Amino acid sequence: MRRGGSHIRRTAIVLIPVTALWTAAQAGEGEMGFTNYYFTDSGANKVITTSFNMAKKLLEQTSLLIDIELDRVTVPPITATTGASRPQREKNLPFEKSRGQVILGVEQGIGPNVTVAANFYRSQEVDYVSNAVVGTFSVDMFRKNTTLTLRGQYNSDKVGEILESGLVYNQNKYVFTGAANLTQVLSPTTVLDLAYDVVYLKGLLSDPYLQVSVINDEGGTVLVDQLHPSKRTRHAGTARISQFIPSIRATLIGSYRYYGDTWSVHSHTGELKLNKYVTGDLVFGVDYRYYTQTGSYFYLPQYTGDYYTTTGYRTVDYKLKPFVSNNFGLDLSLMLRAFGKPGSELEFLGNSSIELTYFRYFNSLDFSADIIQFAIRFSI
Amino acid sequence: MRTIHGTAAAALVALAAGAVLGGCAAVKASDRGYLADPIMERQDHFSKQSLEQKFFSSREGSIGGAAGIGGGCGCAK
Repeated sequence: MRRGGSHIRRTAIVLIPVTALWTAAQAGEGEMGFTNYYFTDSGANKVITTSFNMAKKLLEQTSLLIDIELDRVTVPPITATTGASRPQREKNLPFEKSRGQVILGVEQGIGPNVTVAANFYRSQEVDYVSNAVVGTFSVDMFRKNTTLTLRGQYNSDKVGEILESGLVYNQNKYVFTGAANLTQVLSPTTVLDLAYDVVYLKGLLSDPYLQVSVINDEGGTVLVDQLHPSKRTRHAGTARISQFIPSIRATLIGSYRYYGDTWSVHSHTGELKLNKYVTGDLVFGVDYRYYTQTGSYFYLPQYTGDYYTTTGYRTVDYKLKPFVSNNFGLDLSLMLRAFGKPGSELEFLGNSSIELTYFRYFNSLDFSADIIQFAIRFSI
Repeated sequence: MRTIHGTAAAALVALAAGAVLGGCAAVKASDRGYLADPIMERQDHFSKQSLEQKFFSSREGSIGGAAGIGGGCGCAK
């Protein structure tokens, strides 16, 4: 009963600003979305997310962006099999926590081809706080056949550990990101997207709750805190091509992504998606994603020797193991444009939709997850 | 390290090549109706992709290569 009430309260927290902003947004152009997201996995972890977002044109070339997101996370009591991260405190009880996130942004057009944007991001939970500032520059070229976007981002995070006493011990993490995206119209039915990111991280890059079992020089087994290097540089590049097929009223979207970092993790991701009109306003989508990665240079199935109880890097983080994953997704989108005739009271439905998404994820580490998402999007 | 730097260089070359190719493409605005269709997923201000990416970044060791901002976790780490 308490959980149900909690969910209703969270939904209300999001709906109240939605209602206020809806009232304020009756004039001008923009879009607004409300999303509920439910996640459960084979380790009995659960995440319920409620989010609201809005992009609103305030002046001729000025838009305001708002995104509010609330998560409720439940991690089960520690078992030998989940590997889930959580405090050691009260480890026989499920660990529940909430996370709140807000993104505020302003987008300003400069002439017909240039847009600059600034965003502020804050995420807070009991043992993690993240603040970020993001600057974006975008320019349309060649009669808007080409768009180049450059982005810089700085994150300052507090990584907390809830101690047995209940106090939280915080350590710092800093993240610097540079990104470039290029969108190129190739034909009236084809678009190519290219993206490249470089990310530099320093500080506490390890999960403070995870512990590693080490066999020491005497042959005994000891548990020690996970230890990762304090710096990491990531590179990622993505190519995506989107093809509209007029004869069957469908879109085929294919992408490939390569990733490499200074911890020797390399990955390849391939994804293929088909969106197809079932009727004039109902779209069915199906997609498949394949992912493979190598392990980090310091990942070992078993750590042996006193070196690993002192300064030797050690990890039990599943994200640093070699594995392969598969993801299947299905979605249905109902467009409400039939109800939004120009000039009618329901004109705002002209660019609105209701979306239902399901995807199933499973990997070679015996982990699987089911995700269901429901979203309503309005133009305002 | 060499592989990473090679990949970074290749990505930058591809971006530059794309920009140059842009000068060759000449699709008029009036011919881009299909590209604006919602099923092309071109308008991803706050799409479901961001939540999917959040999930993948909590389960896999590689992130990046897609636009978007974020931090923190909100996931079952």
